[in-house]
Amino acid sequence: MAAYRGTRCLLRCYSRIRGINQNSQLLNICAKRTLCSASPDNGTQNVRTPQFQDEDVQEILTRITGLDLQKIFRPVKQELKPPTYKLMTDEQLHEATQRAKEEARKRLKMPPVLPERQPINDILAEDKILEGMDTAKYVFTDITFNIPHRERFIVVREPTGTLRKATWEERDRILQIYFPKAGRRLTSQPVFKPENLKIVFQQDRHEDILDLCLVQFEPDSADYIRVHQATYDDLEKQGKFDLLRSTRHFGGMVWHLVNARRIDGLVVDMLQRDLFHKRAHAAATVILIRSAQTVQDAADLVSLFNLVHPQSESALEAREQQATGIDVLKIYGQKESQRTGYIELALQAYQQTPLESSGRTHPPQRLSEEGYVTPVQEIC
Amino acid sequence: MVPEHGSNTGALPLDDVLGAVIRHANFLLKKYHGGYVVIRLALGGCTNRPFYRIVAAYNKRARDSKYIEQLGSYDPLPNIHNEKLVSFNYERIKYWIGCGAHPTKPVAKLLGLAGFFPLHPMTITEAERRRNTAAVTEGSGTEEQQEDHETEQQA
Repeated sequence: MAAYRGTRCLLRCYSRIRGINQNSQLLNICAKRTLCSASPDNGTQNVRTPQFQDEDVQEILTRITGLDLQKIFRPVKQELKPPTYKLMTDEQLHEATQRAKEEARKRLKMPPVLPERQPINDILAEDKILEGMDTAKYVFTDITFNIPHRERFIVVREPTGTLRKATWEERDRILQIYFPKAGRRLTSQPVFKPENLKIVFQQDRHEDILDLCLVQFEPDSADYIRVHQATYDDLEKQGKFDLLRSTRHFGGMVWHLVNARRIDGLVVDMLQRDLFHKRAHAAATVILIRSAQTVQDAADLVSLFNLVHPQSESALEAREQQATGIDVLKIYGQKESQRTGYIELALQAYQQTPLESSGRTHPPQRLSEEGYVTPVQEIC
Repeated sequence: MVPEHGSNTGALPLDDVLGAVIRHANFLLKKYHGGYVVIRLALGGCTNRPFYRIVAAYNKRARDSKYIEQLGSYDPLPNIHNEKLVSFNYERIKYWIGCGAHPTKPVAKLLGLAGFFPLHPMTITEAERRRNTAAVTEGSGTEEQQEDHETEQQA
């Protein structure tokens, strides 16, 4: 026991750990198994409610997350080495960029979103004759090599004589003792207390805290879900969605907001980003493509919302009219959103840009502090 | 397991010599007459801090010396959460018991508490003895308290 404790050193790096991939794959399989065995939520509906792991949901989420190579491969605190310079032809550079994109896609693999785990209350044996045999509990672990950690036997013999299965917290701790994971601590960090999380959010370090949470907790534990929801709620309150864009946590955030029906802020943010690009560089056609992407992102987001809430007004309307692309956005703006005026105006502006950019350049309009264009303020 | 005979290939006198050397070398590796494999606790740790490894070893070997395989661990001192941590590699324990290994008394007790073996009779006896002593001390404690009360009332 002393040996296990003494030789562990704390890794205070927030870099992504590779081991989570294998763990998340197993959890995906477990999640799929449990989901397949469970009956659908609404008895009246024929179609099952879309889950996080569904192909179409994942596809939409990866598209919205984006692929900003500069952000993904930004310098991480590591051992100081002199930089290596390579001389490449255009073709080689193109190949290197393709490889970087593949690597980036692997790094953007989303951690699983699972329902909170049910507490374990299984008693294996009640031996009243053993009452008072000892003052301490005995924890028996099975250290056979080739079993997945979820199926490992960890049982506790209480001083009262009952032999029960270990609780989830005990399991996590014992597995960390016998099969330590890099970066994980036996007791959770004080950062995860609510009052300390506030300070972290003030410093805009949402991505770091989410990475740490991923390393420390299991994806279906209560702490993990609590920290993630607190982070997403804070981001939504402050509107700082760009902090998580092009990271592996963006998909999870979008899923949480869609399930809570609070995507207004995100839709507005995407459209604002699009407007900001347009007003800043009025004549460039490249920006048109990028702005088209952000409006497309907003349309994707609304279509995901319709997928998850098929009984909502905008979903019904969209199915009636067989709407795709920007029309879905318009319908959402009219039916569900709180900020109807802004969304409609933004869509109008987006549709007008092909006419504007073909001809003259107009002087960039002054942006107010929130980044809104002045005519919008008159309406909102 | 230690091989008993060396290689017997080749008809050259050199090979015969080599064979003889190997056979003599095997004699140097301990061949236990009537020995058997045991599953027992090997003590480690520091002063006033014991730590046991559950180990499959030959019966005649010293307690802490070379063993065949480590099958688990046992920490007799409880930790912050008042737990005594025991680990077992059940698959290998099953193999060694299948090979005819004898577990010692403490190992059998631990396996009984774990539910792998039936409960060891001495565990039950010890529990009963503890309960009796606890009852006796309680009884004497309450008697002393009553005496103190009486002396206070008298004084």
